[in-house]
Order: sequence, then structure tokens, then C-alpha cells
Amino acid sequence: MKHIRVLFLAVAGLLTPLSAASAQESEITIGRAVSTTALDPGFLREAATIVDNIFDTLVMRGEDMKLVAGLAESWKPLDDTTWEFKLRKGVKFHNGEDFDAEAVKFTIDRIIDPAANAPTLSYIRTVSGVEVVDPYTVRIKTDGPDPLLPTRMSRYPTYVVPPKYVKEVGNDEFARKPVGTGPYEFVEFVPDQHVVLQANADYWRGTPSIGMVTWRAIPDGTARVTALLTGEADFIESVPVDLVPIIEQSPDADLVLVKNGGLTVYLGLVMKEAPLDDLKVRQALDAAIDRKSIVDNILRGMATVKGTQVGPADFGYLDIPPTPYDPAKARQLLAEAGHPDGFSIKMQSTHRYMKDSEVAQAIAQQFGDVGVKVEQEVLDWSVYTQDVPRKGPIFMLGWGSTQTLDADAAVYAIMRSGEPYSTADVPELDSLLDESRKIVDPEARKKVLEEIQKVAAETVPLLTLYQEDALYGKAKDVEFAGRPDARIPVYDIKLTR
Amino acid sequence: MKALLFIAGRALQGLIVMVGVSLIVFFALFLTGDPAAVMMPPEASRAEIEVFRHAMGYDDPILVQYLRFVGGVLSGEFGRSLRFQRPAIELLFERLPATALLAMAALLWSSLLGFLLGTIAAVRQNSAIDFVIRVISLLGQAIPVFWLALLLIIVFSLNLRWLPSGGIGTAQQLVLPSLALGAYYFSAITRLVRASLIEVLGENYIRTARAKGISNWRIVVHHALRNALIPVITVQGMYFASLLGGALITEIIFAWPGIGRLAVDSIQTKDFPVVQAVVLFAAFTFVVMNFLVDVAYVFLNPRIRL
Repeated sequence: MKHIRVLFLAVAGLLTPLSAASAQESEITIGRAVSTTALDPGFLREAATIVDNIFDTLVMRGEDMKLVAGLAESWKPLDDTTWEFKLRKGVKFHNGEDFDAEAVKFTIDRIIDPAANAPTLSYIRTVSGVEVVDPYTVRIKTDGPDPLLPTRMSRYPTYVVPPKYVKEVGNDEFARKPVGTGPYEFVEFVPDQHVVLQANADYWRGTPSIGMVTWRAIPDGTARVTALLTGEADFIESVPVDLVPIIEQSPDADLVLVKNGGLTVYLGLVMKEAPLDDLKVRQALDAAIDRKSIVDNILRGMATVKGTQVGPADFGYLDIPPTPYDPAKARQLLAEAGHPDGFSIKMQSTHRYMKDSEVAQAIAQQFGDVGVKVEQEVLDWSVYTQDVPRKGPIFMLGWGSTQTLDADAAVYAIMRSGEPYSTADVPELDSLLDESRKIVDPEARKKVLEEIQKVAAETVPLLTLYQEDALYGKAKDVEFAGRPDARIPVYDIKLTR
Repeated sequence: MKALLFIAGRALQGLIVMVGVSLIVFFALFLTGDPAAVMMPPEASRAEIEVFRHAMGYDDPILVQYLRFVGGVLSGEFGRSLRFQRPAIELLFERLPATALLAMAALLWSSLLGFLLGTIAAVRQNSAIDFVIRVISLLGQAIPVFWLALLLIIVFSLNLRWLPSGGIGTAQQLVLPSLALGAYYFSAITRLVRASLIEVLGENYIRTARAKGISNWRIVVHHALRNALIPVITVQGMYFASLLGGALITEIIFAWPGIGRLAVDSIQTKDFPVVQAVVLFAAFTFVVMNFLVDVAYVFLNPRIRL
């Protein structure tokens, strides 16, 4: 009897494909807060977390967040408006198509084509065209000097897509069944349920250690944490601050905390309106906020008090100390500005950031302590984005540069007057911001970026509060420290089971 | 002839309701703001937003947009989802089976248990068991579904580890969401069965039956329950119609891929065509169900006519 069973098992073993056997040992289920709608990187309207694992860019970010070679082996500027990329040879897409210069040109052309209406166009707005020099050399032209071009070539709109396949199936089908060169191949996508990927055994950086990845959408925070604790998920995104202790106390799971991995939350000020047009008033409000107490007591320490919008990992970061809490000085500044009895003002906030309602409430109280009566308005995000930044006149917003790790992304859009999300109006800042976008030399650019942060600290166009940490939960047998750029590269995750 | 006129009248009423709903659905979304600005990423420039607005037709006069919308709806074309880049109606029908399954499971257990407990409570009116059933059904209607859903997850998934916390595919995954969703209907049906049975039990023909010496349970099952069922079945028709529109909170908490979750996600991302399709669909199911119930009355109870 025993022999028969052994024989049976042996035959069964032969029949089972090898890949399936190894995949079974190393599967991971990742619980996400949001559903995936589509998987075409060029036309994505959401975070690129999943497509990050299917595609590669010319330039990549290593675990230390430095730019490293991706599908391009090297790159250099030829002149102010031309960058040359030398491409990696022998790379194939999951469907067998060759990766070459034509694929790069096709990828970028389909986004910068005005008729395509690509929602990701703004990320590579400066690119005016791509020239194929030979099958493994491309030149990317910009319509002005663009120091950030290599960084742009590391972001998801430039994930290289296979031209033949995309032309054959069309953009819509491609968004449902993507093909890339990345570490994971697409298997299945069921909207609002899951996306399944399997390891690309021929990946150019080596076969991934985890065989199968299932991304499950679990919108509710409690349900997501429960899924982690019961083993239904091995890794989860966006742990609600309130549920952190449950994970910390669990024998089955750990909290993964990425310091400065989240957005920098600030209070926007509509500077054109009185009394916020007065520097002394802005300085008074800045001094009236007890940031440390908010971070320690409301956010359980899961954020870092900051004096600049730029992140510490960003190029151009200048360590500006946060404005000290000084209600006496705030009152004095208000008196000097002609408001000895304070004034009334409206402050808007939404449900988007860590404990945002509680934070807004605390700030309203602290403003009240120095005589500024705050009328609070809390709006749903979909409505909020309509009001911000036109109404306010004080509004809470989170802004991030974690995708580019460059100061430009952290400041330009919210401090340059006239930009859709900016309510700042400081001519000196405007000219510095514009100047920073024209300098290619890194050292010279760094100086201007630092100057921008100094001027911002002096002119207070907005009130920087703190940078949120990114919170993930993981099963004990998952090894992953999280990344400041919020990506989840399964290629870098190790399982110890 | 009278019956036909009645049916035609009800159909016309339904049509007027649908026109009203289409107006509200269309204009309400535009009242909340500018769709083009929201759909583009924060870094998009004003020029890019304008290009997008033009491409989507959001710069046409609002009346033109409404007529185009109604024309589309009449030909089964609800426009493309901005988020999914797929026809909105396709997304809706893709999620209909999940929503229907959850609705049926919730309605099934709540009806069976509701009938049973409602009947027991009516027959044993003012007894201890009646009191317990009344408290349970009061709680079921008073407890908010989001709280009950989380409680079920914490007890049955987290602490006891008997059932999965969410998702779809297995029978186990259906248990908690249908429990959470059905709690309200269970209570409503229990109360309704109890009330309407008590009323029927007080009727003259029941007294006559009792006088004839028929056993209590036989009276209840054969004589009273049959008449007490009419209002209950009507209400169930409406419940089912409203459930088909999607269970917003239950579907979100249990990661159930139904219409309710599609609706919430679409509202949050201002995916206009999908929101419009979902609301119109929900309204349409309701109007059709209402109409069918009205028509059924004509046959079930001739007195209701006119």
C-alpha cells in the first residue's frame, strides 16, 4: 500500500509543472486600500504600485533612492536640451518582443501625442521628441533645459511598453492585459477583487524569489488589518494610526514604519485675501501652532515636525528648523498687524490624511488661544478638491515629493503663483522657482533650491506642519523595510518560511 | 379595461419619475464642481485641463450635454468611465452578479428567520418570548450596519478565526456580509409579520374559525398567515429592488466587488458616467419593481384598483 502511494506521489510530481511547484512555496498576498482600475502605465490615473512590478524604466531608483541603471545602461546630456541613453541589450518583453530603441520612442510618443490626452503627460511635459540613433541608443529632446530628465525617466509614465503588442491589441485591452519587461508577468485582473502576477523567470536582473503575487483590494482599514492578522494577507498598505497598537501587539505581524515616507501636510493660505496678505499675520499663525504636541499626541509620533516642504531625502533639501510654538509672540505679532483682538477666519480640511479632522480641530483651538476664531469646515475629498485652493482662506493639504525625491516637486506646484494648487503670491519666490527649472548644473541648482526654502521660511506663503510616516503591516515571515518613494517592489521582498 | 388604464397610468408615472431622476442625476454632479479639474492629476497645467475638458465635451452648453446624455442612455450608452476607460454600463453589469448574490443571501435568511420569529411573536403576543423577539428586532434596526459589520469581523474573523474577513469566491466569504446586510431586513420583516399577523388574528373570520374548534396553529398557518403575507411580500419586493442598487457600506467593509462599492469609488473619484449609470440603474430597478408590485395588486386584490 505504502509503495503504491509513493509511486502515485512520484507520478503526480512528474505531472506537476516545475514552476507551479516552486511558485506554491513562495506566494504573497498584498492588501491594498484602493482598487485597481487599469494597468497601462502611460494612462494611469492612480498610484503605480502594481504596474511598478510589471514594467521597467530606463532609469531606476535603488534601495538607497539613488538613480541607477535600469533599461538604460548609461545616460548623459549632449547639450542643454538633448539627453542620450544607451540601452541594455538582450532584454525581452514577457511576450517575447525585443526591447530596443523603437520601443522607447513608441512609449514616449504615445504619451506626448496631444491627441492621446494622456493623464500622465504632466510628468514628462518637457519632452519634445525622441530620436532613435541606433537600435540601442536614443536621444530624448526637451523643449528647454531640463535637469530632471533622468528622474522623469524613472517615473511610471515612461515604463517601456511593447510596441507590437500595444498596436495589435489597442490601449484598452493593454490596460487589462499588460505586457512589460519587469520582474513579474501579468496573470489575472478581476476589477475590485484582485490582480495576480507571476515571476518572470527570464528577468534581466535575475529570477524573482517570490513566485506568485496576489494584490487584493481591501478598502476598509479594520478589515485590512484583520486580513493581515489572520494570514489572509501577508502585507498591507495604509495602516490606520488607531490600529497600530493591534499590529504591534500581535504575535503574527509587525508594523513597518517608513520615516518621512508620506506626504508633508501643510496649511495653505490664500495670500491675496486680507488679513493673510499681511506677513505678520502669517507669522503669527505659524507661531501659534504647537506642532510637536500634535504629532506626539494625535499622530502617536508617526510624523516628523518640519520647517520646509522639502523632504530630507530630496535633492536640494535644506534643514530648516520648524517654527517654534510661541503663543505670546503670536499675540504680539497680531497686535503689531493691527489685530490686537484677533479676527475670525474659515479653515477647510478633509478626510485624506492621518487623523486630519483631529489635527484641524487642535489647530483651530490653538489659533483660538491667540485670539483667532476659526470657523471649521470639513469636506469630502471629492468636493474638497473643487474648493481648494480657491476658497480657504486657510486649507489643509498634503503634498509629496516622494515620487521624484527632488525639491522641485515639493515646492513648485504649491508655491509658484498661478499654479492650480498654489495660493502663494511672493514675486521673489516666483522668480527663484522659475530660475531653478532652467539650471542643468546640479550644484548651481541645489543653491537655488536651498534659497527657495530660505525665502519661503521668511515670507511664510504656507504653514508647513509635519511629514507623515508611511505605515505598512507585514507578516512575521515577510522581509521588507518599505521605501521612501512608497513603492512595493516585490522583487526586493524576501520570505523566510 | 379599467385594469389596463390603471397599468398604463402607473407606467406613465414611472416614466415621469425616471425623467426626474435623470435630471437630478445629470445636474447634481455638475453642481459639485468642475469634472475636468478633478480628473487630471494635481501637476497638470491649466492648458492640459482645458484640452481634457474639450475632449470630454465638458465645455459644451449644459443643455447640449444633457440631451447628449439622455440620448446616450436611451440607446444603452452611458459613456465611458473616466477611471477605467471602459463603458460605464459594462462595469455596472460586471458587478451586478456579486450584488445580486449578496442581496439574495441577505434577503433569504432575513425572510426565513423574520417569518418564523414574527409568527411566534404574534401568536405568543405579550409573552416573554414576544418581548425578547421585539428587543432583538429593535436592535437589528437600530444598530448601524458599519458597526455591526466591523463587530462581525472582529468576533468571527479576528478572534474566533472561523470566517474570512472579506472578499468573494467561497460560501464562507458570503456569511458575514449577508449577516450584516440582512440584519436590518430581518428586523423589519419580523416586525411587519408580527404586526400584520396580529391584525389578521383579530378579524372576524378567524374568530369564526376558532369557534369551529380548529387548532390554533392550523388557524395561523392556513388562515391567518396567508392574508398577513400580502404586505410582507410587497415590502420584500421593494427591499430587493433597493438591495440591487448596491449595499454601499457592507460592500466596502467586506471588500465585496458589487455595485455599491463601484458607486462609492466613482463618487470619490468623480467618475461621472459611472455614478450616473449606477444611480439611474438603481432608480430604474426601483421603478420597475414598484410597477410590478402595483400590477400584481390588480390580480391579488381587486379592491386596490383605482
